[in-house]
Amino acid sequence: MMTKIGIINYSMGNIGSIKSALGFYDYDVSVITHPKEIDSLDILILSGVGNFATASERLKKFKFWDKLDEEVTCNEKPVFGICLGMQIFADKGLENGEHAGFGWIRGTVIKMEGEAIRIPHIGWNKITHHEDPLFKGILNNFFYFMHSYHFVPEEKNVEIAWTNYGGIKFVSAVRKKNIMGVQFHPEKSQGDGLRILRNFVEMVS
Amino acid sequence: MIPRRIIPVFLFSHGRLVKGTQFRDHIDVGDPISQAMIYDAQGADELIILDIDATSESRHIPLEIIESMINQCRLPIAAGGGIRSVQDATRCFEAGADKIVINTHAVLNPSLVQELADEFGSQSVVVSIDVKKNKEGVYDIYTHSGRQKNATGLKAFIEQIVNFGAGEILVTSIDNEGTLNGYDNTLYQSLRTDIPVSFIASGGAGCYDDIVNLFNKSDCDACTLGKMLFLRDYDIVRIKSYLTGRKIYVRDA
Repeated sequence: MMTKIGIINYSMGNIGSIKSALGFYDYDVSVITHPKEIDSLDILILSGVGNFATASERLKKFKFWDKLDEEVTCNEKPVFGICLGMQIFADKGLENGEHAGFGWIRGTVIKMEGEAIRIPHIGWNKITHHEDPLFKGILNNFFYFMHSYHFVPEEKNVEIAWTNYGGIKFVSAVRKKNIMGVQFHPEKSQGDGLRILRNFVEMVS
Repeated sequence: MIPRRIIPVFLFSHGRLVKGTQFRDHIDVGDPISQAMIYDAQGADELIILDIDATSESRHIPLEIIESMINQCRLPIAAGGGIRSVQDATRCFEAGADKIVINTHAVLNPSLVQELADEFGSQSVVVSIDVKKNKEGVYDIYTHSGRQKNATGLKAFIEQIVNFGAGEILVTSIDNEGTLNGYDNTLYQSLRTDIPVSFIASGGAGCYDDIVNLFNKSDCDACTLGKMLFLRDYDIVRIKSYLTGRKIYVRDA
C-alpha cells in the first residue's frame, strides 16, 4: 500500500509548495485540516513561517497539539519539520518572550546574532552534514534559507547538518529516531531539495 | 558570506510577461509560467513577479498566476502588485508565495510593513522602492509603477521600514530600468550603509560586466535581471559561470 503523507495545515504560511514538491514523486499527499485525519497517515509534515508563539497557539487552536504529541512520542509516527515546523520540536523558543514547544528534542530556539551579518538570513547557503541517509545523492549542498532564529539542541547527537552564516555556525538539520527536521526549505531548493524530501519518505516507508 | 543571488524579475500584465524601458513602452516578452520553468531549470536563485497594473486597478496580483508558478517551479518566489493589507498578503501566501513584495502601499502606509512583519516574519516581507533622480541629483520615490512622485525622503523611508521589520529591500532605478546600460552603482553604494538587511539592486543590467561592476562596487546581496534575459542572448548558467570567473561568489547552477 502506498505511504500516506499529510501536511498539517495550521494557517502558518505556504504549504502549497511542499505539496507540489512531494507531488513531483507522485506520492500520496494530502493537506490536513482536522486532527482526526492524522490517524490514517503514515508520515506527518510540519512546516511553517512566522513566529514561534503564534505557531504553538495555532496548533493548539486547531486542536493539533495533543494529537501530534501523542502520535509522534507514543506511536513514533515519522514527522518531518521544515523551518519553523522544525523549531517547534524544541522545549522552548525565545521569540517575543519564552514560549513552550513540543519538547521532542531538548533545546532552545534563539535569535541569530552577529556583528557583521544581515538578519534575517535570506538566500542559498551550504550545509555540511553527517553521513546520513537523509543526504543520499545530494550534489552540491546548497539550500534556501529564510529565518532569523535557529535551534540550539541540547542533545548533541541529534545534529546531522550544520551551516555557517558569517561566522555563526548553527544546526541546519536534526534527527532523533522518527523525528527529523531541517532549518532550510527543501521544497524551494531545486534538485537537491527534492532529493531530501524523497530520501525522508524512503527512509520511513 | 553567502552567494550573491541572481533573480529574474517578471513584470506581469494581464496574463503575460512584459518588458519596457524606464517603466514605459511595455512589449510582450512571453508566457510567465514557461519562462519561470526555464529560469528555474537554469539555476536562477529566486524569482520575483510583480503585477504592474494591480495598484492602479485597485486589486492585488491574481492568485492563479502564483499557484501555477509554485506548481511548476522549485525555487523561492516573491510576488507583488497591489498588496495593501495583511488579508491580501495572506491570500498570496496561501496561493504559495514564499515572500510578498510591497511597493506603493508601503510608501502610502508604512505601518503596513510592521503589520506584515509581525504576522509573517521579516524574512517574508520585501519592500520594493522605485526611485528617480531629480535635477538636483536627489533620488525621489515614485509609486503606482513609476507614475506618481511621492514627497517622502528616500533615506528616511528606508530607516522607517527597516525599523518596522522589512526583511529585504529592493531598489529599482527608474532611469536605468530597461536601458541595458548598467546598474546605478552610485545609488546602491550610497544606500548600502542604510540597509542592514538583504539589499536587492534592480534596473539596467545589459551585459555580464554590469553585474560584475554592481557587486564589486556596492556589496548588494542580490540583483535582478529583466530585459537582458528576455530580449538578449543571455542565460543564467552562462551568467553565473562568467561571475565565478570574475571572483563573484554565486551558487553553482
